[in-house]
Amino acid sequence: MTFALSLLDQLPNAIAVITEGGGVEYRNHAFDEAFGSDAAQWLKEAARAVAGERGWLHGFFTDSTETTDVEIEGRVYRIDKITRIVEDRESPAVALSFEDVTREREAEQAKSDFTAQIVHDLRGPLSGIQGTLEFVLSQDAKLDALYSDLLREAQRESERMMNLVNEILDFSKIKSGNFAVESEPIRVAGVLKRAVRSLQSVAARDEVFLLSAHGRDVPQIFGSMEKLTQAIINLISNSLKFTPRKGVISVGAQIERSNDVAEAIVITVTDSGMGIRADEIQTIFEKYKQAGTRSLRGGAGTGLGLYIVKQVVEAHGGEVSVASVEGVGTSMILRLPVKRAA
Amino acid sequence: MSAHPIPATNRDWSRLVGESLKQHGAWHTWAKLLEATRVYPGDLSLRGYIEILRNTIVRDFLAHPKGLQAVPRLSAEFMSNFDRFNLNAQEGYLVSLIDGRLDVQKLLILSPFDPFNTIFSLARLQQERAITVPQ
Repeated sequence: MTFALSLLDQLPNAIAVITEGGGVEYRNHAFDEAFGSDAAQWLKEAARAVAGERGWLHGFFTDSTETTDVEIEGRVYRIDKITRIVEDRESPAVALSFEDVTREREAEQAKSDFTAQIVHDLRGPLSGIQGTLEFVLSQDAKLDALYSDLLREAQRESERMMNLVNEILDFSKIKSGNFAVESEPIRVAGVLKRAVRSLQSVAARDEVFLLSAHGRDVPQIFGSMEKLTQAIINLISNSLKFTPRKGVISVGAQIERSNDVAEAIVITVTDSGMGIRADEIQTIFEKYKQAGTRSLRGGAGTGLGLYIVKQVVEAHGGEVSVASVEGVGTSMILRLPVKRAA
Repeated sequence: MSAHPIPATNRDWSRLVGESLKQHGAWHTWAKLLEATRVYPGDLSLRGYIEILRNTIVRDFLAHPKGLQAVPRLSAEFMSNFDRFNLNAQEGYLVSLIDGRLDVQKLLILSPFDPFNTIFSLARLQQERAITVPQ
């Protein structure tokens, strides 16, 4: 046994070295203690799957995965890649560390369920407040100017609160893994139209031009109408916060074709707002991340909106990107594949 | 050596577009970005930069003191020499609607195209001096 391996053998963490060809080259003492001899067989099978480019182990060999959770016989293990061993070998190998995180994940799940329940309970009364304010404001002619302004402010703040509550609810669903996307046929033009219509009155109130930039011949895709609509609404709401009076927000869709067959739809939500600093562009889709630019209206959010949009798009097999020029505007770009029903 | 040029990063596009806008204006920068898409067809962020430019052009058009109530008119040059103008089908259709009485708001209602692209086409017609929008 080499010095390095004898060192690994004394570590408290379960560690195994797995080859790309499907063999378990080494496992330390802690590994055998944690998993018993059955695990060696299980690991061999998992490692063999690598050769066929299937299974969770594959990512560790292609350098794309650093850590992953895997369920083994009812327990959840976090597997970290310690290193990828390629020198002086015929086939690469990876050294992996296994940590039992079952209790942590159960605690996270309980916390997430609790958050989801609280947020769900908050939405009911909040909807009631919004409905009442909307009714009172519809009687505008009977209100004096001061009350009317105050009620509009209350309405604006209740909208903001509803957005925050919805973002936290979506986030808790993502965290708990309950973020499955249905596979119903969706008319993308309908999604965009619905999202634009739902915020048209807010845009008019803020004196911002909110314009559709897509035709009717956008092909349908398969996914969740509700989640996609919410993602587009999130993006438009975000743009509204940063676009000054007389500014423009456009919501467009373009079709990507290959040999005259639609392959993907590229949706853009573009504003003439303040833009994002060049050094912040790449991190804007991270959770709790908010651009340093201060919003013109609506105050600070949870920093979850764009993270949720990214999760929704990725759940549809798509990708997101952002373009921004400080002082000129920002464009959020969603690329969704056109999948066909089997 | 790769046959394709090395793509600019998002950060580079942000800086390049900002500088080009200051030096050459929105129309020139938009045309340059269209050329760039042929070189970098897979760059998703580039689509966004094109949309930012189109948005800027539409915002500038709507910044007319009369806004949506502005009334576009065919230019004298267009009336006397219309075959000089290389209009696409959408622009050609919009020109057929312009009668010197309909304002932008009514043109948006009559246009079969979406509102954003209708205004963008009007801005392009103005840029090409096919129409004027008197104050």
